[in-house]
Amino acid sequence: MNTNGKPRVLIIDDEDALRGAVKRILEREGYQVATAENGSRGIELGTREEYDLALIDLKMPDYSGIDVLKEIRRQKPNTVCFIVTAYASYETAVEATKMGADGYILKPFTPEELLNHLTSGYKKRLLILEAEALKHEREERLLEIAFERTRLNTVINSLADGVLVVNTDGEVVYYNNAAMTLLNLHDVVIGRPILEELPAEIREIIFTNFTVNVTEKKSFSVEVELKPKHELVVEATLSPVLRHNGQLSGVVIVLKNISTFKKVEHLKSQFVSMVAHELKAPVAATLGFLNIILNKEMSLTRDQELDFLSRSRHRLASLLNMVNDLLDISRIEMKTITREIRELNLNNIITETLSLFTAEIKKKDLSILYDQEGLQITIRADYSEISRLITNFISNAIKYNKQSGTVDIKCYAEKHYSVFEIADTGIGMRPEEKDKLFSEFYRAKNEFTKDITGTGLGLSIVKRIIDAYSGKIEVESKYTEGTRFRVFIPMDLNEDEINN
Amino acid sequence: MENKKKILVTDDDPDILAQTKILLEARGYEVLTADNAEDAIRVFEKNDIYAAALDLIMEEMDTGFTLSYKIKKTEKGKNIPVMILTSATYLTGFKFDAGTKEEKSWLKCDAILNKPVNVDDLLMKIEEYYSN
Repeated sequence: MNTNGKPRVLIIDDEDALRGAVKRILEREGYQVATAENGSRGIELGTREEYDLALIDLKMPDYSGIDVLKEIRRQKPNTVCFIVTAYASYETAVEATKMGADGYILKPFTPEELLNHLTSGYKKRLLILEAEALKHEREERLLEIAFERTRLNTVINSLADGVLVVNTDGEVVYYNNAAMTLLNLHDVVIGRPILEELPAEIREIIFTNFTVNVTEKKSFSVEVELKPKHELVVEATLSPVLRHNGQLSGVVIVLKNISTFKKVEHLKSQFVSMVAHELKAPVAATLGFLNIILNKEMSLTRDQELDFLSRSRHRLASLLNMVNDLLDISRIEMKTITREIRELNLNNIITETLSLFTAEIKKKDLSILYDQEGLQITIRADYSEISRLITNFISNAIKYNKQSGTVDIKCYAEKHYSVFEIADTGIGMRPEEKDKLFSEFYRAKNEFTKDITGTGLGLSIVKRIIDAYSGKIEVESKYTEGTRFRVFIPMDLNEDEINN
Repeated sequence: MENKKKILVTDDDPDILAQTKILLEARGYEVLTADNAEDAIRVFEKNDIYAAALDLIMEEMDTGFTLSYKIKKTEKGKNIPVMILTSATYLTGFKFDAGTKEEKSWLKCDAILNKPVNVDDLLMKIEEYYSN
């Protein structure tokens, strides 16, 4: 197109005089003029550059004006072309028009005639260009929309949350893969009814809350258990889609998988009720004894009274232990423990701990096998935690041992681990009991254990301590014969690797 | 001594067992105790039991139900009141009751009492059973 607002005209004519005259007239009128003295030069210029207008002489020595026209039109379809001739004939005119000529100028012509033709030709040219620009713009926008759509589709389909859109007739308007997977739906077809296949809870919300009267954008949520026992629980949030006029046009259903959350929630409440139950038992027992002692009608002997009081004290003492254990667990869980990581001599801690149990060991007549001659094993850890760990194991090995049994303790280095090993000749475990060993409040319940007291939290604490040091534990056990534990604590643990 | 009515009481908590025992004895009953289902059945078979009060949770979550079912199945058991004692209402949030006939036939026990059990309530239920 022209650069400075001047229409650009190409004059193709073999008559020098005419070219010169027309050029002068047009330039005077503000046109920008280029000339070509024959057909081939005309084709060259007319196809190389974009002219607004072209005047093409019909009869030239090398090319016919029709051929020149054809060629220019082919490559520059928006250039407005006029055929100029002295030999007007009806047939040529028709042919020229067919070839795309926009007009026909007869020689000789007056400057006014020429300018009239060119003015209207130029108007036409501007219209063509405008139409062209509009067409181009529209195409671009269509492309853009198509692109946006694909992008949106990709985004919605990659969401982990399910999306399902239903119209007021209960037909699917849109859905993503996650929605299909969560709802376990197959072969869903856009435009088909879907409500019957949705969970009742969701349908219920649609029927009660998304009637034609809905005019405000208010969402509703419901938890739906799609597979029992918290296997698959989704939270469905339903939001209305309103038209411009405020009328309901459909419902967007977003499905969020909250199974993990529900499972954790369930475990938590289970733990709370378990704790409550465990705390309640000693309190109820103590209260029962006190009620009996205070009951004048019971007329207890002094010995009975003392027996009940000492039993109460025993229950309260173990209750206190349990509360302390629970506080320890909570501290480890909440990671509020401040660990003082030092180089610890495992052998020393074992000897120290054993000395605390002298009375119990003597009472049960146990033999302690503990070879201290070997290598001194050191670990980097918090003293109170490791001491707690060793205490829990030694205490269990004594408590659950048989009369005159043995406790075999070793510590040694193995690969990248410091190992503490303890074996007893106690009651042992059945294979199915081993899985429950580290869970809270689990205590082996059988004829051997009924007189052994404990909180059921000792090994649960042990497990948490070992986990904090990225260690591991192995259990070997034979029912009625004994149990062997091996605790592995990694050597060379950096302070920041310890789970603070 | 010979004519005292015998009540079978089970509980895996020896302290609770001792308390229930002494309270019932103070009201003139003879109390036979067991802390596991196996012993309980043995005691029930050997003795002329007037009533049984069974703890729901002993070895397993439902030991009391199973035990009650076993006792109620026998000729002897059909004619005595069997109560289940539980704190499970607090533990699980479920409400156990054996009020209606259907529930009684399904649960195979005559009443469910919450723990800690009030001895007077227990005796009232037992006497209610015999007066009907």
